[in-house]
This record gives sequence, structure tokens and C-alpha cells, in this order.
Amino acid sequence: MSATIHRSGAAHGSRATAWAFLSPWVIAFGLFGLFPFAFSLAASFTDYSPIRAGGASFVGLANYARALSDPAFWSALGNTAFFVVGTIPFTTTLALALALAVQPAFRGRTLFRVGFFVPSVVSVVVLSLVFKGLYASNGALDGVLRALGLTPPAWLLDPRTALPAIMAMDVWSASGYYMIIFLAGLEAIPRELYDAARLEGASRRAQLAHITLPLLRPTLLFVLVVNTVRSLQIFAEVFVMTRGGPLHSTTTVVYYLYEEAFYRFNLGYASAVAYLLFLITLALAWVQMKTVRPAGPEAR
Amino acid sequence: MSAAGAQSLRPAWGPSLGRWLWLGPLLLSMLVPFAWMVAISLAPAAGTSFLRALAGPWNLDHYVALFAAAGVGRYLVNSALVAFAVVSLNVATAAMVGYILGRRRVPGERWWTLGIVATLMLPKQVLMIPLYLVLARMHLLDTYAALVLPFAVDAFSIFLVRQFVIGLPIELEEAARVDGASDWLVFRRVVLPLLKPVLAVVAIQSFLANWNSFLFPLIFVDSDRLRTLPVGLALLSQTEHSVDWGFLMAGSTVASLPVLAVFLAFQRQILSGLLAGAEK
Amino acid sequence: MTRARRRNGARPWLAAGILDARLLAGLLAGLLAGLLAVLLVGVLACAPASKTRTIVFWQFWAADVVTPLLAEFEREHPGWKVQMEQLTWQSGREKITAAVASGKVPDLCELGSTWMPRMLASGQLTDWSGGVGDLRPQLRGWELCSTGDRVFGIPWVMGTRALFYNKALFARAGLDSTRPPETWEELHQAAAAIQQLGGDARGFGVQAGERYVLFKKFMPFAWGNGGRILSDDLATSAFDSPQNVDALVYYLSLRKVGMLERQDMLDRAFREGRLGLQISGAWLFRSIAKEAPGLRYGVALVPRPDRERGFHASFAGGEVLVSFAAAKEKEGALALARFLARPENAQALAAAAQSVQPATIGADTSAYYRERPNERLMIEQFETAVPTPNHPAWDDLEAVIEDEVEQALYDRKSAAQAVADAHRRIAERIAKR
Repeated sequence: MSATIHRSGAAHGSRATAWAFLSPWVIAFGLFGLFPFAFSLAASFTDYSPIRAGGASFVGLANYARALSDPAFWSALGNTAFFVVGTIPFTTTLALALALAVQPAFRGRTLFRVGFFVPSVVSVVVLSLVFKGLYASNGALDGVLRALGLTPPAWLLDPRTALPAIMAMDVWSASGYYMIIFLAGLEAIPRELYDAARLEGASRRAQLAHITLPLLRPTLLFVLVVNTVRSLQIFAEVFVMTRGGPLHSTTTVVYYLYEEAFYRFNLGYASAVAYLLFLITLALAWVQMKTVRPAGPEAR
Repeated sequence: MSAAGAQSLRPAWGPSLGRWLWLGPLLLSMLVPFAWMVAISLAPAAGTSFLRALAGPWNLDHYVALFAAAGVGRYLVNSALVAFAVVSLNVATAAMVGYILGRRRVPGERWWTLGIVATLMLPKQVLMIPLYLVLARMHLLDTYAALVLPFAVDAFSIFLVRQFVIGLPIELEEAARVDGASDWLVFRRVVLPLLKPVLAVVAIQSFLANWNSFLFPLIFVDSDRLRTLPVGLALLSQTEHSVDWGFLMAGSTVASLPVLAVFLAFQRQILSGLLAGAEK
Repeated sequence: MTRARRRNGARPWLAAGILDARLLAGLLAGLLAGLLAVLLVGVLACAPASKTRTIVFWQFWAADVVTPLLAEFEREHPGWKVQMEQLTWQSGREKITAAVASGKVPDLCELGSTWMPRMLASGQLTDWSGGVGDLRPQLRGWELCSTGDRVFGIPWVMGTRALFYNKALFARAGLDSTRPPETWEELHQAAAAIQQLGGDARGFGVQAGERYVLFKKFMPFAWGNGGRILSDDLATSAFDSPQNVDALVYYLSLRKVGMLERQDMLDRAFREGRLGLQISGAWLFRSIAKEAPGLRYGVALVPRPDRERGFHASFAGGEVLVSFAAAKEKEGALALARFLARPENAQALAAAAQSVQPATIGADTSAYYRERPNERLMIEQFETAVPTPNHPAWDDLEAVIEDEVEQALYDRKSAAQAVADAHRRIAERIAKR
């Protein structure tokens, strides 16, 4: 960037301002973030139970060892991984396609923007209840499929289709949400780049490939990282629709640790599982940040 | 296809029709569950059947019951107050922190960003109890503060602004600094206007997240007078073994209207086309 | 290039920008005011205690059901006020857990019987053995809130499961709708007859693998057949028995003459008149009255193996009133609990809620229940209902049983294998403590 040309502090802005602007996050984290994170980390090395009177005893790495040797944990991790891999590409592509489609001016554009956003507006619990009804046998979806002459599976009752059914719901409801973010990113791309490209005779496809996508990389990174973080923590949909069943096929890592924390009151163990998930998420985010590098000044 | 937003006339129907052909069915499919919700809420006689709801007599019985239920008005007001406070704080802090990170003005900015994003990576089910302990120690339980302060600074919004700022051309800021404008003036006069599209997104997503937030308002607040809408709706419509569908759907439809309103209000900001003409 | 821009007067930062200084100042002022207001309300909310003592009561029932009772209590006890907070059924656990963890517990709390084993083992409940001795002959359900001979709560209302049957479908299938099935054989025959009606009619609603529910639907058959889970001293597993295997075989056989679904869908199918028979609970009374008032249905005791063997077993559950060791108003909590457990008050709650019955012994003789044979049958069923063992690791044991039964339901293993595996895993789990 142009940072190579101007090196004086005045052109960069003062350090003092930088730290001052950073302070809201530092203060908020200090007050409300530090203790919960530290407490959970500490708890993960103990047998802490929130309802047991008397303190908790240190157990070292026992919780971590237990998680890594528990087939139920690996099954939950597998389900979660399947969920992430099976939704993120679709959500991201669909969101980007929708954003590209509704960005240029055309009649009824606002209707489509609002319409695609509508699924995200409803709370996830209510949405899950609605889909639970839609997926029920004799439900609306079954009715449509039967009218088409197909025999519908027992969506949420069949271990093979339960998780894909929840994944479909997730892609469906999240696309509109990420579409908005892509829209903001698209709007930030200066018009004159497109104008210049058109003057040089570049096709729409070439414009997309050489201007839009490279300059969208920061936004794309955001969508990928945030969607990954959220998908790895999927819980409410499972809780409402299937309670982790059938045959544990929809038990995700967070659902697994929820049961440990609030039904067996093993918050120490649940914290260890949570930190294992944390490490995995962190590693994935770091990889994503390294691979999707923002476009440099050469793109301009 | 016309690209510039501000200067173009209303586009012709011809090119628009092409889009309608493939976007239309997609839109319909996206709207079906929401349509189901609204239909059920308007047709008490139909139970939970979509087709019967579309056909049957429509009336506002469920909505009347909703607003007659004690507390719903108060829950709405509480949700609105809390959402307003949280959104304002989120927008302000995200602009500040995101800008600094996006311009790499602190050493090791990459690590700061990773750290800030990392705070999103521990599930709230585990954070809930220690956070409850923190709020208890601060005597903030069962207050509005408990619903606002822990959520005032949002890592998601900060990250969003940071990514946006990375893509912003730096020339305007540099020009302003060379002219002698102070840091704060540069931020206020140059950067903030340019951030409008992303801050609009921050406002929308922050409002959405907060408006529908359930777990923390449930845990941190006991009193009915401070209760927010999602918790109130759950209490009023869900018993141990059954759901009062009509009531819940009416409540959810009402709850989704402010979000749609906020979205409509801010989505134009996303497309203000500010950058189209501002530089030249 | 830069100079040219400047000469053209393009200095947007000095021109009246979109975010002009006044607007920004206003926004910041608003923010600050908002923050201050929030903090102020927070501080003011911690008002100093008034002269009357306040009993904080957490419970699950709707406000309009409970508030009249609390008002009556306040009239009888002028020095006390009750501050009632309603919990949600789905997330009450999280709230109570957080409260116990932080010590900010309510004085009196309603807990479901399924939570009691862990709570009893936690040492956080107040010992009420001395304060409720006189109530023991009057209420049932003490096993839900006691360990050994120490009592840690008062049973408030009870809930169990019974056989619901659709009289219209019975008539259509040529069955006598005044004689619901009493034995396993009769149940199977009735379900088969209804299943054969075709269309969308189904015989028996078999509970699909739904956590925390499947157990209550399957175990009645096992218990009724003489099967059990643990030994009396809770030290060993007693699950692997021919009685349990036969019960599971029977339960699996019902799939062919019925439908496999989750509870809410089974209830819906029953309400819509598509399902002939199912095991369900008293909440169905209310939802049928509300959504399908014309449905002709009846309730019967859960069928037993046959007329000479076994008994009409069912699941015994309920709501218990407890106080926590860290509570401030212990005296008030006990007084309120005793008040709520009075026959007329428990009756009032049961009548308003309809999904539970009072824990009072002899409640079925009241005028209210004499007029309502279906609800009275629930009380009769409760007399032969079996409570779950009060083992501290009960939740794990229940999960094991549900897991294995579910695997058998999905034909992943045979009934005998499922029972044997459950027995082994239960034994392992007990041995760990």
C-alpha cells in the first residue's frame, strides 16, 4: 500500500490515538471476557461441578484425555466437521451469487434484498420449530414430495438424513445474512475500476474475475472465518429439532458439551471439550487468514 | 447493465426480467417458512396446517391474545431499549477498533485481530456460568446493564469493519493528514463517512443478534419487568410438552417486524453509492 | 495528481460532510446518556430491603396459575412477600445451575423429579426432615426427594403416563370402545386392527429415540413385566433379565402395528384422529380440549403382560419444592412450600395446569376428580407407577438405556443384545463412582 511512501508518524497518525481507539475492546475484554475465558480454562483442569458444594479438585489433563478417548466426542466432532464442510461452501457461494445478483439496479431489487434476508430475521429457535414441523411426516415437505410421486424419507428420524436436513436449513437461512455482508463489500469497490475495464472492452466475466473477486477477498475472508466459527458451534437447531438424535447422528460438539455441563453438571469436563473446540477453531481461522490474503495495491 | 447507482434512471424491465426468472423461484422458496409462520398466526381455526391456513377464515385472534397477555408490551419496550443501547455501542466501538486494526496502526495487528476474533470461539454455554459469576460480583444481575454492557463491544462487528477498512483506499486519509488534520478529525471527517456502508451492516447484524438473543437475557435477568421479548414469548407460549403455535407465531411475526424495519432503514446506507462519486 | 485534486476544491473533510460535527456530538452524547441511564437503573435496582421479608420463589407454571395462590399465602402471612420468577421448561436448567454455582439461589424452587438424583447428591439442598414429618402420611412421592431417611423437599404435583386410545378408530376397527386393552396381547390386537384400516390410520404410537422421553415410554412395559434397573441398594445393575428382554421384544413388535415418531408428532397425530393408541401424559388433555375438542378418546392404565402376571406399571415423576442451603429466607421457604402442598392448593394448580395431578393422597376422591374420569385415572395410574432409582449418576444410566433401546428400535441390534449391552454399561458406570 501507500504506506511505503509516507513513513512519518504524522501521516500515519499517532500511536496514542491508535491505542486510545483500541481501548474499548481492551476494557470490555478485561471486564467481561478475561475472567470467563480464564475461569473456563482453569475449570478444564479440574472436576468442577457448578452444583456440588465444596471446591473442585485439580485433575490435570484427565478431562482432555477423557475427551480424546471418548468415542462419543469423536462422533460429535465428526458430525460437526461434516456440518462445516457441508454447509460453508454452499452458503458462501449462494450468498455471493445472491449479492452479485441484487447489487446492480433493477426493478424490484429491494424486494429481493429484503426477501432473501427474511429467513435470518426469525430467531433460530422459532425457525427450528418451523422446520421441525415442515420436516415431520405428513408435514408440508412430505406433502410436496408425495405430490411429485417421490417417497420422502423420515427426515429427522432417519440417522442418515437428520443432519443433512439440519444443514439444508442452515444454508437456507444463513445465505441471506451473508449476502448482506457481501453486498457491503461489493459496494466498496470503486465504480471507476469497472468503468475503466469496460472501456478497455473487458467482458462481464473478466470484470468479475479480475476486479470483483480479488477486491472482495477481505469480505470473503470475513464470511469464511465467521461462518466457520459459528458452524463449529452449532447448537440451538439441534437442541430444538432432534436433541442430538437419532442415534447421536446430530450430536455436535457443543450439544455434547451442553449435556455434560447441564445434565451431568460436569462443567470441568465441558470446559475441556470447549477448549479443544477452541483450538480447532483457532487453527482453522489462522489457516483461512493465511490463505485468503487481501489483494494488494497491484489490483488497482 | 447500468452500474452506477445514483445517476441511472429506473432500469428497463427487459434486463430485469432475466433476473426475475431465476431469482423469483429462489425468493419464493426462501419465503415459504416465513409465510407459514404468518399464515398460522392469522388463521386460528387451521391449527398448524399451511394449506388450511391459506384457505380458512383469517382473523387477528392470536394477535389479540398476544397483546392481551400480560407483559408483552413491556417485553417489546425492554428489547427495544436494550437493542438500541447495544447497537449504538457496537457501531461506535467497532468503527474505532476496526479502523485501527484495518490500518495496521498497532504493532502485531494480525495477532490482535486473531485474538479478538478468538473471543468468538469459545461456546457461550461454557462462558455463561463464569460470566454470570462476574455479573453477580459486580451486582449487575437483574439490571439493564447486564443485558447491555457485556455485549457493548462485539468482536464480530470489529472484524467486519476491519476487513472493510483494509479495502478502503488510504489516499484521502493521507491527504487530510498532510493537510494537517488531526487524527480525530481524520477519523471523524474522512473515515467515518466512508464507513457508512459497513456500519450499516454492523447496525443490522448487531440489532438482529441482540433482538433475538435468548440465552443470556434468560440467565442474567430474573424479573419480569426487565424481561426481553424472546424470553417472554417462550414463557408465554411453551409449556413442558407443547407449544402454543398460534401465539408463538403471532409473537414471532411481531418480533420480526422491527428487524425488517431496521434492515429496510439501513440497507439503503449500504448502497449509498458514496464511493461512486466522492473521490473525483 | 493530489495537488490537482486539491485545487479542484475536493476537500470533503472540511465541507459539510454527511456526518457533521453536531450530529456526531449528538450521537456520542446520546451514547453516554444511554450508558449512564443503564448504570443508574442498575444501581437503583439494588434498592434497600423493605420491612417485609421477601421469599424468592422460582417455578415453571404460568403466572396466572400461580399468582392467586401466592396472594393467598401473603394474606395468611402478613410479614412475608413472595417474589415469583417464572422459569422456562426448556432452559430452566441453565438458570438454576448458574444460580447454584454463584450462590445467588432462590429461597424456594420447583425442581422436576428427573433432576432430583443429582441435586440430592450435590449437598446443596436444605434438609427438611424435621420440618415435614407431619406431612408424610398425607402426600405421595416422597421417594422423589429423599435419600435414605432424610427428606430434602416436598412433593407438590405428580405426573405419570397412561394409555390414550381413540374411541372413534376403535369403533371403525370393530373394537369395543368401552373396553380398552388391558394386556399386551389385547394392545397388540387392537393396534393391528386399527393399522389395517389403512389410509393414514395407525395403530400404536411407538416413541422414536427422543432423549429424556423414550425411557418413560419403554420402561413401563419392562417394569410391568417385573423387570428392574438396579438392585435395591443401588449398588449393582439388575437390567439384564428375561423380563426386560421380553418387554423390549414386545415394544419392538409394536412398530409393525403403529408408527415411529417423536412425542410431539405422536401427540399431533393422536389429536388429529390418525393414531389409535399411544402412551402419553396428562398434558394431552389440555391440548385436545383446545385443538381437537370433538375428539372421542379415552384413557386407560398401561397394559400389563397378561391378566395373571405383572402389573399396570408406569413412570412416576413430578415436581418437588426444595430450598437451597445457601438461601436467605429458609423459614419462609418452608412455610410457602407447606402452603403450596396443601390439598386445596395443589389441587388448584393441577386443575389450572391440567398436565399434572396433586401429590395429595386421596386427591382422587375430591369433587373435581370425581367429575373428570380421565384425570382421575392418572391418579390411579400413579399408584402403580415406578419412580426412577435415586442414584447420583442416574442421568448417565438413563442415557445408556435410551441409547440401547434406540439402537434396537433402529434394528442395529437385537433386543437381547441391547439389554445385555445396557446392563454391561450400567454396571461400568456404577462401578466408576
